[in-house]
Amino acid sequence: MIPVSREERHWFLRNVARALQDFSGVSEPPVPAEDVLNHPPEAYQEDFGVVDMYSNLWDATFARPPGQRGSIFVRVDLDPEERRFALARETLCAMITSKHGRDLGMPDLLMSELKDSAAYFATHYLASESLVDAYLAQGGDEEGFAESFQLPKAVAADRW
Amino acid sequence: MSMQALNQLVARSIVDPTVVQSFRSGQIGNVLDELEFTPDLRAQLEGIESDSWAEFAVISYRFVKAAEMPAPRIELPSPAEGLFPDKQSQADQEQVA
Repeated sequence: MIPVSREERHWFLRNVARALQDFSGVSEPPVPAEDVLNHPPEAYQEDFGVVDMYSNLWDATFARPPGQRGSIFVRVDLDPEERRFALARETLCAMITSKHGRDLGMPDLLMSELKDSAAYFATHYLASESLVDAYLAQGGDEEGFAESFQLPKAVAADRW
Repeated sequence: MSMQALNQLVARSIVDPTVVQSFRSGQIGNVLDELEFTPDLRAQLEGIESDSWAEFAVISYRFVKAAEMPAPRIELPSPAEGLFPDKQSQADQEQVA
């Protein structure tokens, strides 16, 4: 893989986010991230799934038992906004390691900066440029941003 | 316009396996034909050699970005410069005289 800048990687991730947002068919927030995991694009049928778990170790993590369907294991006691963000973040991990993700070459592009990539993807999946532009055009302000997009407050502040 | 087309292509590839299949079989030109790239860019993109689709996407991004950058403006001095005396310096000369 050729050396890739952060800006180029982020551009690619915005298009990954756009693909899922387009698939979900939403034109206004919030993006139904959990619905997409439960009813994924055909290319990811074997890779998306959500399992609630009792754990204090992580908020969410993606795992794929050998030869089985991959799933995101998410803590049951998270706030709804934290849960959405954690699921969106782990969605990228599921995509990267899926058969289609490997066919695309996503591991070589994204694995070395996985933490930054997953957080950037999640933020732009849940609050894409088109949705934020529409929100601003309708007079949306910073105060209502986190609530409208159902984002954790810290994530919303960074995105704004 | 071409960046919009490239974004469309990359987003489509994420959910549509036929894009990467076309790329792997050397038929990406057929997919590029469906999008609004300029003829020059289309030819450049079709000629990219890369190890993976993701690498192809990044190299395409570089090409499209370079093509969309405004050409640098070269500021040449006016041909009239120096032909007409500067009023202020003329006044200074008169005062000295």
